[in-house]
Amino acid sequence: MIFYIKKRLFSLIFVLIGVTVFSFILSNIAPIDPSEAYVRRKNVSASEEQIEAMRKEMGFDLPIHKQYFIWVGNAVKGDFGESYTTGVPVIKEIAHAFPYTLKLVGVALLIIIILVIPISMLCVRYKNSFFDNFIRIITLIGISTSNFWLGFIVLYFFAVVLNVVNVLSYGKMENVLLPAITFAIPIAAFNIRVLRANMLENVNKDHIIYAKARGIPNRILIYKHVFKNSLPPVITLFGQTVGYMIAGTAIIENVFSWPGLGNYALKAIIDRNLPAINAFVLIMGVVFVICNLLADILNMYINPLTLKKMENYK
Amino acid sequence: MIKKIVHNRQAVIGLILISVVLFTAIFSPILVFNDPLKGRLENRFLDSSSEYPLGTDQLGRCIYSRLIFGARYSIGIALPILLVTMIISFIIGIVSGFYGGLIDRILIGICDIAMAFPPIMIVLVLIGALGQGMEGLVISIIISIWVWNAKIIRSAVIVEKNKNYIIAARIDGSSNLKIMFKHITPNVASQILVLMSLGVGDIIIMISSFSFLGLGVDSTLPEWGAMVGVAKKYIYSRPHLIVYPGFCILFTVIGFNLLGEAIRDICDCGYGEHNE
Repeated sequence: MIFYIKKRLFSLIFVLIGVTVFSFILSNIAPIDPSEAYVRRKNVSASEEQIEAMRKEMGFDLPIHKQYFIWVGNAVKGDFGESYTTGVPVIKEIAHAFPYTLKLVGVALLIIIILVIPISMLCVRYKNSFFDNFIRIITLIGISTSNFWLGFIVLYFFAVVLNVVNVLSYGKMENVLLPAITFAIPIAAFNIRVLRANMLENVNKDHIIYAKARGIPNRILIYKHVFKNSLPPVITLFGQTVGYMIAGTAIIENVFSWPGLGNYALKAIIDRNLPAINAFVLIMGVVFVICNLLADILNMYINPLTLKKMENYK
Repeated sequence: MIKKIVHNRQAVIGLILISVVLFTAIFSPILVFNDPLKGRLENRFLDSSSEYPLGTDQLGRCIYSRLIFGARYSIGIALPILLVTMIISFIIGIVSGFYGGLIDRILIGICDIAMAFPPIMIVLVLIGALGQGMEGLVISIIISIWVWNAKIIRSAVIVEKNKNYIIAARIDGSSNLKIMFKHITPNVASQILVLMSLGVGDIIIMISSFSFLGLGVDSTLPEWGAMVGVAKKYIYSRPHLIVYPGFCILFTVIGFNLLGEAIRDICDCGYGEHNE
């Protein structure tokens, strides 16, 4: 297992190098000149010399590979440069926004786990019952809705119909519940479908039939024998989902005016604030890769068989 | 196969929903009473009447006509994106899976790096680089999703190429190209069909999401996502402005998801979208 983790960490280095190159290229194909944009923002009638001086100051006159190494060297130290719009170091702004996003994702994850595990177990236990069919329809709707629309429906329902939320105060840390619910519903729906299908596939396996023959009651059977064996693919998927969630908060945060990373990135993109976009891409790439790695390690821990399979692949 | 689809209730419902949307998209000019782009300000926020079946929006434009034309935008943008991505994914997937070796390693390396970013983020950043608007959106979505499909097709190709009939074809003297396109392609076609059908829903949601954020199609156009984006100011006073377009997206995406899942059950190929 240690060997496998080491191997993964080693290949991780290459992926991370790829991530930095990729984010650097992405920000460099932008058709606008960032130094010109920066100078013009401060002084509309800036002269060509002023722009040229700014280009030198920002290092844009250097050859592209030198720019890349300077950027990576600084990024490793956590220095992503200053925001073009505010002049504050990007890392400071991100450090301010990140806890909001983490909280949103954390609460959403909690809701997802609370929904997914019991519901999919009940679906398997009472397969083709009214409950199962009902959940199937609900989850189909869940995976087919657009996040932003669901957000407004949830907002309207809680703020106007039920009148339990003060519409003006959302965006504060305490009001994480509504965006988290909106965020969780489609992902939970998708995961319920996957886990249910996985468990149903396991129900027909020989060891389950044997356990049934031994007289083990259905509820224990489903938890102890079916559920645990169905987890690995779901965990892999889940690791990916967490990465998606952290990077994909932009839409939810926009709907609920949540001051997290997604909104920050969105604003940076509209303003063409290159240092901020660069930092966002790099950090998200790293987060996504780490989430995947953690999911794999968790899988190996739960099911040593996956490790054997990996060794066979070598 | 077609017989099986006709006998599958889920597939039939999906097909009916899709047909309704397609019909609306094709015949939208006949189905509307008013110009979806022009409105008169003195007519703003009208209730439903015989002239405006669902009332008017904040600029006095007929909501019903805009919703009908919205089908055109969603389908008209999503299907070309789907086609282009599938062609790219198919070619790369089959070449990479069939030949293996160095080509496979390079292509898979590129895929792994691209997959280190969630698609939604690639689209966000690419739009930031390419500029807002329809072209930027289309190119970004294609770039962000082809890798996922290519990897699934590649796995399917690897499974097929080790089967006995391929060995038989090789003994028979078939060329690589013939094996790839005449023997393997028909056998992975059902998986590609599933990917396509489930992919449309995702693409439609992506288009409308970015249009909602104001990064996609022009906000004056009757695209469903853009309509929600413009109407968000009026959520408390006129919630129906948000409910209708969202419902249209839901209707369309459910249709494609139902069909895709039904085909997947019929061909019995895997259970998850990202399942390899």
